[in-house]
Amino acid sequence: MQRLLADHLLSVLVFLPAAGALLLLLLPRSAVGAARAFAIAVSLLELALSLPLWVRFDLAQQGFQFREKIAWIPQLGISYNVGLDGISLLLVLLTTILTPVSLLFSYSHVEKEVRGFSIAFLILETGMLGSLVALDLALFYVFWEVMLVPMYFIIGIWGGPRRIYASMKFFLFTMAGSLLMFLAILYLAIRHQAATGVWSFAFEDLYRLAFTGRTETLLFLAFALAFAIKVPVFPLHTWLPDAHTEAPTAGSIILAGVLLKLGVYGYLRFALPLFPDAAMHFAPWLGVLGVIGVIYGAAVAYAQHDMKRLVAYSSVSHLGLVVIGIGAFTTMSLTGSILQMINHGLSTGALFLLVGVLYERRHTRELDAYGGIAGIVPVTTTLFLIATLSSIGLPGLNGFVGEFLILLGTWTSPHRWWAAAAASGVILSAIYMLTLVQRVFWNPMTHEENKKLTDIRPTEFIAAAVLVVLMVWIGVRPNDVLDRIRPSVEHLQKVVAAKQQAATYTRNAAP
Amino acid sequence: MTPDLVKFTHADLAAIAPEMVLALTGCLILLVEAFAPRLRRWFATLALAGVAGSLYFLLEAPGGTTFGGRFDTSSLTVLMGLFLGAAAVLAILMAKPYLERTGEEKGEFYALLLWGHLGVSLMTRGLDLVIVFIGLETLSLAFYVLAGFFRSVAASSEAGLKYFLTGAFGSAFTLYGVALLFGASGGTKIEGFARPGFADSPAVIFGLLLLLVGFGFKMSIAPFHAWAPDVYQGMPTPAVAYLSVAPKGASLIVLYRVFSAAFEGGMPDRFRTGIIALAILSMTLGNVVALAQRDIKRLLAYSGIAQMGYVTISLAVFGKDALAAAIVFFFAYLASNAGAFAAVASLYRDETKPHPVALLAGAGRRAPFAAAVLALCLFSLAGIPATAGFIGKFFLFKAALEKGFYALALVGIANSLISIGYYLKVVYILYMREPVEADAPPSLAPADRLALALCAAAILGFGIFPSTLWEVARRAAATLPFAGP
Repeated sequence: MQRLLADHLLSVLVFLPAAGALLLLLLPRSAVGAARAFAIAVSLLELALSLPLWVRFDLAQQGFQFREKIAWIPQLGISYNVGLDGISLLLVLLTTILTPVSLLFSYSHVEKEVRGFSIAFLILETGMLGSLVALDLALFYVFWEVMLVPMYFIIGIWGGPRRIYASMKFFLFTMAGSLLMFLAILYLAIRHQAATGVWSFAFEDLYRLAFTGRTETLLFLAFALAFAIKVPVFPLHTWLPDAHTEAPTAGSIILAGVLLKLGVYGYLRFALPLFPDAAMHFAPWLGVLGVIGVIYGAAVAYAQHDMKRLVAYSSVSHLGLVVIGIGAFTTMSLTGSILQMINHGLSTGALFLLVGVLYERRHTRELDAYGGIAGIVPVTTTLFLIATLSSIGLPGLNGFVGEFLILLGTWTSPHRWWAAAAASGVILSAIYMLTLVQRVFWNPMTHEENKKLTDIRPTEFIAAAVLVVLMVWIGVRPNDVLDRIRPSVEHLQKVVAAKQQAATYTRNAAP
Repeated sequence: MTPDLVKFTHADLAAIAPEMVLALTGCLILLVEAFAPRLRRWFATLALAGVAGSLYFLLEAPGGTTFGGRFDTSSLTVLMGLFLGAAAVLAILMAKPYLERTGEEKGEFYALLLWGHLGVSLMTRGLDLVIVFIGLETLSLAFYVLAGFFRSVAASSEAGLKYFLTGAFGSAFTLYGVALLFGASGGTKIEGFARPGFADSPAVIFGLLLLLVGFGFKMSIAPFHAWAPDVYQGMPTPAVAYLSVAPKGASLIVLYRVFSAAFEGGMPDRFRTGIIALAILSMTLGNVVALAQRDIKRLLAYSGIAQMGYVTISLAVFGKDALAAAIVFFFAYLASNAGAFAAVASLYRDETKPHPVALLAGAGRRAPFAAAVLALCLFSLAGIPATAGFIGKFFLFKAALEKGFYALALVGIANSLISIGYYLKVVYILYMREPVEADAPPSLAPADRLALALCAAAILGFGIFPSTLWEVARRAAATLPFAGP
């Protein structure tokens, strides 16, 4: 057991939830309480097992750690090849934290088909973790697509009134992007075989390939489209508000917390290092789309009457900021972007959760249905306020650190005006989020039934409190996290620069 | 007649023993029905034993050609034999409870299925177009009758007649093609086509095109697909499960055999363009029309037309890896398609009526196992990773890209996206709609359960551990002579 955990920690983490899902199949469907408790137990065990990653992660090492490699389809050089760097480390931990949080919240709120819900959630966790640690492109693609199926069911079965439309749209949008990436991955492997005579889908092997401008552009676009849809980058974002609004609260938490981040992660992990020239060529476009996303998302969020839709559009805005940081491509802005992904997962996760708390009591998310409830649900109000302040970047909480790094990093890049535009997004976020708080919690009470609202339940409180504690922790001691991100960011930049340089040499050498 | 056909050697008999076992088991079932009708409930077991015995002799048969070079026993025929045997086993497993439910438990069903199976087996093993044609006709005759099995149901009689008319048409094309090739080569042996410059003559090209049309009928490649939806709808579901997979795989092998011999110097570009057109038409038409279907059997028929479009990509790419990819694809298609039909057979109460998709509403809760397997099969047909269907497409698209067929691969990918629309629609009805019928679907018989479990295991097994199947398929594909790599 000790050996297994020492040498195969990542594999255990990836497959434990799937194994739990299989065991759940053995439970009778009527054993609702047991299914709930079992799923939470598995996700908590998963969380406990993931903590050693944080402790054992070697800050001095820039490459991938916790490596494992086993041949999978040896004829084509496809292997089960996993590893972790600072970027994926944090997202893995975010996943293992948000999964029990979501399940804990659902403990008292999912009544229909509890066993199925738990199975879907655990398989989803396997898919997310697998995508985050895979270093073989075929393996990555498998996990990337496997995530879709449970999420489709989570939205489609346990979602709101328009869940069918939303789940279908989510599936088709995501699939449309990934199918092109699938062809691009195959093409990369075929080129590798043609160049070296050896089949390989390993990221580190494919990285050595160099392409002519047109091919590289096409390949880059195939990858970038898949990731941009997932993020989502404006104008590919239209599936997001629907999916978020209709998904059950737990689904929204995971969707905002992890699934969107996988788009950014995939871009950083694969698209950038594989096609650095094209990526740098398109970086200004990326930045501009990010700027549009920030401002557009904020404006639309401000206009919403539905709390969940408002938070969903705020995600478009916040992820626009992350995209700007990546487009600027300075060490600082990249570090900020990665931290901001974690921050957004925590704060938006908490916001969705607390909106869910209110919704479960009043069965409406209309802003106008609330007002003046701060005195009636003081604990919920406090938690909501903290999450809001984190989301709008109040110093002392996590959001500030990430936003500040992105703005500063972007300002030092050639694209200063992005930073100016992004800063306006930060201000806009304060406007729409504080308006939300004002209208829901403070304004005079207009609806009598709100007087009977009950405050947050213990399971809900624990779930939300965990997130709030993490917000404060990152806000106060950001270096704990930044120290883990920075080496990986520097490594990424080095890798990209090295490949760009090599490409320049070969191009100059050619007649 | 050449003398070597008259004298059977011991080796000849050993080689054809698998087919003889099938023929005899079919006869035995009919005899038992006539003389001891009370043993009826053992028919399925007997039929399974027949398939098992046939597989035993197939694995035992010494390799090499027999009947004067007209009959093949190689890693290719053994692998295809396993494929066809698995299809037959699944069909028999789902047939037993199906026939019991419909009150039509007759020996003919099993006998005809076994004889049809015999015909398909001959198609994959024949090295002489006459043997291939006999196989094709044996298959067709058996399944014409099976299509009209429910004599009192109009849809079933319609299916029988339609399949017979279009099938006869298809056979005529095949036969005319054989005649032209015979005229050009002076014989019907496939190896006789392997001559430099053989495919330069227009008559030969025309003959090959006719073969393509004839076997295209059997594979239900658009535009030769029109029979499939009606026949699937009226034919007993277990027979559809077999017909929609096995003869298609065998037809592809026949085409590959003939083309690899005739196109010694590589496939001519214009011929290839024609095949590419068929592939694109079949994928697109199948997928787009499937979107509009309301009957699950018709939906699966159009899905099959689209899937055969993907297979035709392999024929256009034409090479060892492309053939191996098609074989892997067929194994995946067998598990997914037969599984889907097994689920359909068990989820509908009245077999003599149409099978509207809407009736599946709520099955996810009321018949969880069958619904889950159906959903898995549909995800596999859609090519979602970790299923066999993804692996099939993975190797197919890899083969296409490797030889530079970028546009074809793009069309294939676009079609995969379209197909998700209707596969997901069925999943949505299974799990996200309230039931419309008061009664729950009939409870699962053990044989149904076994068939469904086998398909699910194969989908996940091939989907997660595909490397052995790929290796075996590649070795099998290497037995055909291809020009170039």
